Amino acid sequence: MKLKEEYGDDLAVIFVEVQGADDETAEAFAWRQEWMGRGAMWTTERPVHVEGNTIPKFALLDVEGNVILSGNPLAQKKAIEEAIAEQVKRAKDAPEGTPPKVAKAWAKLAKGDVSGALAACDSLLGDGELGEAAKAARAEIEARTKARIDRGTWMIDQGLLVEAEEHLGDLAKAVKGVPELEQAVAAELERAKAPGAELDAAKDLASLLAKMRKGDPFDDKHVKSLEKLAEKHAGTKAAERAQRLVRLSQVKR
Amino acid sequence: MNRSMLLAGIPLLAGVALATKAAAGDEASYTFSKPPVDSMGVKSLAELRGKPVLIDFWGTR
Repeated sequence: MKLKEEYGDDLAVIFVEVQGADDETAEAFAWRQEWMGRGAMWTTERPVHVEGNTIPKFALLDVEGNVILSGNPLAQKKAIEEAIAEQVKRAKDAPEGTPPKVAKAWAKLAKGDVSGALAACDSLLGDGELGEAAKAARAEIEARTKARIDRGTWMIDQGLLVEAEEHLGDLAKAVKGVPELEQAVAAELERAKAPGAELDAAKDLASLLAKMRKGDPFDDKHVKSLEKLAEKHAGTKAAERAQRLVRLSQVKR
Repeated sequence: MNRSMLLAGIPLLAGVALATKAAAGDEASYTFSKPPVDSMGVKSLAELRGKPVLIDFWGTR
């Protein structure tokens, strides 16, 4: 968790529960340990397999999704820290083998400028072999941007409207100047900000969750607040989430 | 890494042992059946390309 706090969005951290706990037990445990809301992701699915039958275990993927380290993290603490530092630095560069002229597109993307990155690719499309590299880079940059839009859509569909607005707001700045992407982001942003019961409920829940993350999330006061919120905003997705959190508070330690 | 989260040498339950080795150089490719909690909709490892990914296996017992 310290590494996640040190690197923020530059590092993805996934915690995988592997002792057979179901989703609710694992999530309740993480809440009680005050680990939730600190940027890491939590799952009971195993996205990679690591040799051995004890924990702790880890796997570290590089910026291109390749496994570069795995095993017992306690035995490789320094190696992990050094590898992450190197990968965070490498993330700002273009993928290996990218021609220097095409690398400029990746440099723009690293600064959050999707529009500039795509324009840099477009300026090289007619340039023979370089054009092929630019085309591939363009496709990858566009795919990554569309995946970010899709995540905004997912957040809205889950009732995470406060989070969606922040996510899509950042994306709107990044895609300014690319009409197709601008329109897609604007449409989702309008959905995220649409006034109504869902937005009111989402704001109330976001505020309550922020309080829950500062101390015992399942103390009586918070549980009562969750119950009241679920009642007040009955029928909304935020109310469903609040009810789920009440259930989590009842999961045995 | 927060030591309180790392339970050294805790054996896994039978039947949930971690299986094949993730060898260095292997490309990890996985699509989640549902997005991880707090992931804000991440559906696959592919979506995380462009940044390093630290996967930590832990237990609740």
